[in-house]
Amino acid sequence: MDRQPLFKRRTAISYKTEEETVVRGYNVSDLAEAGYTFYDMLFILFQNRIAAENEVDMLRYETGEFLEHSMSPSAVSAIGVINGRPNLPAAVAASVMTFGSAHGPGAAHGYMMHKYIERARVEGKSIEEMGKILVDEYMDAGLAVMGLGQPQHLDGDPRAEPTHIKHEQLCSGVYLELQRSIEKHFNARRKKEGKEYVAVNMIGAGNTALAELGFSPTAAWCIGCVCRGFSCAAHATFTMKKGRAWGASKREPMVQMLDLSMIKYVGPADREVPTQAERQEYAKKQKEEGEYKKWVI
Amino acid sequence: MGNLDDPRLMYKYRTREHGTVEADPKRARFQWVSEVAYKNVHRIVARGYDTTELVEEGYGLTDMLFIDFQSRIPLIEEEQMLNYVMVCMFEDGLSSPANIARIVASGKTLLTQAAGSSILAFGHAYGAYQTFGKMLDGILAKQAKEGKPLEEVVGAIVKKRLKDPALGVSNLMLKDPMAKRMIARAEKLGVAGKYIPLMKEVVKAAQKLSKEPVDIDMLGATGAVMLDLGFTPEATWCILSVTRAFATGAHYCEENEQEEPVRLGQTLTPKEWYDGPADRPVPTLEERKSVAKAMEAQTPEEWKQIFLERQKIKGSGWAIVEEIDDPKRKI
Repeated sequence: MDRQPLFKRRTAISYKTEEETVVRGYNVSDLAEAGYTFYDMLFILFQNRIAAENEVDMLRYETGEFLEHSMSPSAVSAIGVINGRPNLPAAVAASVMTFGSAHGPGAAHGYMMHKYIERARVEGKSIEEMGKILVDEYMDAGLAVMGLGQPQHLDGDPRAEPTHIKHEQLCSGVYLELQRSIEKHFNARRKKEGKEYVAVNMIGAGNTALAELGFSPTAAWCIGCVCRGFSCAAHATFTMKKGRAWGASKREPMVQMLDLSMIKYVGPADREVPTQAERQEYAKKQKEEGEYKKWVI
Repeated sequence: MGNLDDPRLMYKYRTREHGTVEADPKRARFQWVSEVAYKNVHRIVARGYDTTELVEEGYGLTDMLFIDFQSRIPLIEEEQMLNYVMVCMFEDGLSSPANIARIVASGKTLLTQAAGSSILAFGHAYGAYQTFGKMLDGILAKQAKEGKPLEEVVGAIVKKRLKDPALGVSNLMLKDPMAKRMIARAEKLGVAGKYIPLMKEVVKAAQKLSKEPVDIDMLGATGAVMLDLGFTPEATWCILSVTRAFATGAHYCEENEQEEPVRLGQTLTPKEWYDGPADRPVPTLEERKSVAKAMEAQTPEEWKQIFLERQKIKGSGWAIVEEIDDPKRKI
C-alpha cells in the first residue's frame, strides 16, 4: 500500500508517521487521552495553542448554538442535492459551499473589524469613536454594515444577543467593544432617519466572539460554516431516509418542492422556433431590436 | 420539425399546451417538512429543544450532534467519547481531504469551496463509514437470520472482504496505538455496545485469514465506537467528514499563505509520464470519412468485443464496474 502523499508541501500544521499523528507538536491520541476536546483542537489547529478554560467555554457555547438553524440556504442546498440520491457527503459538501457573501459572511465582517481597530490605533481614536466612524463611512457610501439584521428573525436573531452577553461574561475585549459601538451608532443613525431598529445577527455576535477568541477571519468563517455542515447533514439524512427522492411525487399528500405547480415563469412568452432557413435573418433582427438584452443574466 | 411528427411519440408535439402548471387546490401547499428542527421569528428549536436554552445550560456542539441525529441528550460518558473520536479524527496530515482543500485553494477560491470540497473525499474507501456500518449491520442481521455462531458468520464475510478498504482492519495502524486506545477508552467509559465486540471478532477473523500482519485501523475503531454511541452509518459518515473539514480550513489558509496560486494552463504533465497512443497527425475533415469508424454493436457478440476493446482504453471508464446503490436501501 502506497502511503506517500499525493504532492509535496512543507506544512506547519501536522505530520503523520506510522507511529503517530501530530498536530502543531501535540500527539493527537495523547490529546484525546488527556481529555482535550474538539473545541481545544480548534484552538490548537488554527492558533497553535492550548486554550484557556473560559475560551473553551465560549467556543462550546457558540458552536453549539450555531450548529442548527433549521431552514437556511445551506440546509436547502443539502436537501436539494440529496433529492438526487448521490452519496451523502455530496449533499453535506454542497451545504458548506453555500456560505458566501450573503449567508454567513464571517470573514468579511472580521476583516472590517480589523481595519477599523487598526485605524483606531493609528489615528489615536477610541474604539467607541471608531464604531461611529465605521457606521458613518459605510452608510454614507450606501454600503450595508455587516453583522446586523436577519431576514427571518425580524426582531433579532434569538442567538445573537445571548451570545454577546456570554461573550461579555467570558472573554470581553476590543472586538466586542467595537461591535457594540457599531450597533449603537448604526441604530442611532437609523432612528434619526426615522427607520426602525435593526438587531445584531449571528455574524455580528458570533464572529465577534470568535475574533476575540483569537481566530482569524478565515478561521472563524471556517468554524462557523463547517459547523453548520453537521446539521445540514442531519437534514439531508432525514430527507434521504424519510422523504421521497426527486421531490416531485404526485402521490404525496403535500405538494412537493419540485412539483410542476411550484414553477412560476416570468421570462419571455412562448415563441416559435425559427427554421434553419430563417435563422440568420431572425437572429440578425433579434440582435438589432435588442429586446433580448433585458433578459441577459 | 425534426422528429416531432413521428407517430411513435407519446402525444402530439404540435398541439402541446403552453404555460406553467396551476397549483393543485386539493393538496396541501408545499412546506419544508422536517423532524430535525424548526425556527420562528424568536426561536430555533432542534428536536424540541430551544438551541439558545441548550447552550445557556452548558450544552455544546457535541451534545447538539446527539440531539440532531439521535433526538436525545447524550450521557456524559457518551459526550466525552464523541469528543475523543472527534479529536482523533480532526487532523490527518496531507491526506485526501487536505489535498483536495489545498488544490481548490490554489485556484484562489473561497474558504467554503475548499472546506466543502474536502468532504467529498469521503467515499466507499476513504472514510467509508456507510459501507463499514452496513457491513457490521449485515453481519448481525445474517447471524440473527441464520442462527449460526457469530464467529462463523464473521469469518465468512471477512474472507470475502479481506482486501476491502471498508473492512476496518488493515496494516495502517500497526505501529500507531491510536485506534486501540480509542477502543479501550470506549470500554473504560462504559459506552461499548454490540459493535465494539463485533469489531473485535472481525479483527480476529482478519488476523487469522491474512498473510500479512493486520489490526484494527481508524475506520474500524471510529466506526465501531460511533455505532455504539448510537449514530447510524450515515450519520457517522457525515459527522466525521465534517469534523475533518475544520482542519482542512487550516490547510486552505496555509496554502494561501505559503504557496503561489495556480493559473489555468500553468500545470504541465511531463511527456515521460504519458503512456497513451504515440503522437500522430490530425486527419482533415475530408480524411475523417475514411479514417473514422462508427462503433455501434449490432449483436451481443459484437457488443462484447467492443466492450473488451474499450476496457483497454485507460480513462474511458469501461474498466470500472460501479453500482450506484440507493442509499436509502435497507439491509
